[in-house]
Amino acid sequence: MVGAEFGFYIDPQRCIGCRACVASCGECGTHRGRPMIHLDEMDRFASTQTGPTVCMHCEDPICAQVCPADAIKRSEDGVVHAAQKPRCIACSNCELSCPFGVPIIFRGLEQMLKCDLCYDRTSVGHRPMCATVCPSQALLFVRHEELAGMRGNRPLREFEIGALRITTRNAVMVPDPEIPLNLDASLLCPEGGR
Amino acid sequence: MSALPRFELDGRPLVRAGFATIGLAAVIAAGSRGGRWIDPALLGYLIACLFAFFGVAYRYFAWLERPATAMFWRWTLKGLTTPKRWLRIPRMAAALADQMVLQRFIDFRAHRRWAAHALIAWGCMLAFAVTFPLVFGWVRFTSEGLNPDRYQAWFFGFPAGAFALGTPVALLAFHILDVAAVMVIAGCLLAFMRRLKDEGEQSTQRFGLDLMPLLLLVAVSLTGLLLTASVRFLDGRNYGTLAFLHEMTVILLLLSLPFGKLFHIVQRPAQAGATLYREEGETEGLRPCATCGRDHIRPNQRKDLERLWNELDLKGAVHSNGVHHLDLCPSCRRRTLMKAHSQRLHGAFDPFAEIPLPTEPIDDAVSLRS
Repeated sequence: MVGAEFGFYIDPQRCIGCRACVASCGECGTHRGRPMIHLDEMDRFASTQTGPTVCMHCEDPICAQVCPADAIKRSEDGVVHAAQKPRCIACSNCELSCPFGVPIIFRGLEQMLKCDLCYDRTSVGHRPMCATVCPSQALLFVRHEELAGMRGNRPLREFEIGALRITTRNAVMVPDPEIPLNLDASLLCPEGGR
Repeated sequence: MSALPRFELDGRPLVRAGFATIGLAAVIAAGSRGGRWIDPALLGYLIACLFAFFGVAYRYFAWLERPATAMFWRWTLKGLTTPKRWLRIPRMAAALADQMVLQRFIDFRAHRRWAAHALIAWGCMLAFAVTFPLVFGWVRFTSEGLNPDRYQAWFFGFPAGAFALGTPVALLAFHILDVAAVMVIAGCLLAFMRRLKDEGEQSTQRFGLDLMPLLLLVAVSLTGLLLTASVRFLDGRNYGTLAFLHEMTVILLLLSLPFGKLFHIVQRPAQAGATLYREEGETEGLRPCATCGRDHIRPNQRKDLERLWNELDLKGAVHSNGVHHLDLCPSCRRRTLMKAHSQRLHGAFDPFAEIPLPTEPIDDAVSLRS
């Protein structure tokens, strides 16, 4: 069980795009050889911005709600696990419904895999692989009380997509966490999509 | 207040499971010619089978009540009842054979996992194929006429071949369950070895869900083999005790079916339906992502998922530009979060943006920490 005193804090502003997190994620025992962290480039031509995405571990995970095989479980410590191997039928519902674009369906394996907060490590008191190797600490796994002395920003766990509100275990760092972060696609495509 | 968890049963699955169990009882009665050919020595197994069937049927019907499961179930039913989709049935049967019999998808996960699973699954299927018909009175053996050296097999009350004692066929018929037991024990040992060594498995496995079914399978197989050992090597000594032990372990296994990991045996065939659903969607061509235009979602799944989201009360996930969140590809969803975050930080990643300076210095000790 992951200690309730620990939190995972994401500070995309600090990401330098080194991909150390991607390389180390593949070392995790629960999905060995397959990195589950996503590292996206925002606009390669105009900006150096890169962003790491791990599972946010929603309080009421949509991936689990839409899973027809009832294969996705959230443990008592708030960690949403990858689909259970005996049950997952690789229907893609979770991949297509995750608000943050996290799960990956592996054809052939017929299974969904996703970040499970390196449960083999965090359940025995170690930090997740990505947070261990991140040189700029864009990915941070620390005790809640340690965070205040380390960052000017504060953790935000509330997100909005239109009228949909999502609360997560993991947090992103912002100056004003009282206001939910509105994930609005018009930021990428103001004119209304294709 | 009671410390026990509340145990609630849903009405509709309960009624359906009741009818399904009555249906099984009727087929048992028909196959055993009114119960005439039911072996009294196997009566305990028969009662446990009916209870286990009821439990499995209840859980299966309760599972179908979930909106997401019902979505696939409706589609599979539609696939089987619409004539133009019947052409796809051979493809579905092939997918089922690949996934249930060959189980190649497990081989892609790991060879050793496949070996363990195949031994357990095929061992169990072999054992079920023999024991259920025997317990239900559908299969029985008698002497052929007055010749005690030849055995006559009966299936559903009809003659189904005869064989002489001492032949390879007889040896196989009498020891097929021993073969199954050896397969199951070998598979369980491989599974135990993996679970003892693999750190990933160790962190997520639970005794009741992952180890208990393996222990029960080993117990059933071992006590079954001991029955043969008693007859062959011990002149039948302790046979009664061993038979009782074997019956107890089998009943425990049967009654655990609805609750534990082994329930996936009846869940798994849904995978063939999912494969077919995917293939049908792909023939229509993938819908592009509303933002980046890359191939994103199958049209049939897009329609069903929006309905499912509404059923699950996940309404209103529409962006200010009118795009539904389901129409964004996973990559654009992630980039939306990054964009929203950098906007919240006053455009920290826009090289031309004016970034407000902090009003007071930030005591950032990160670079000094490990």
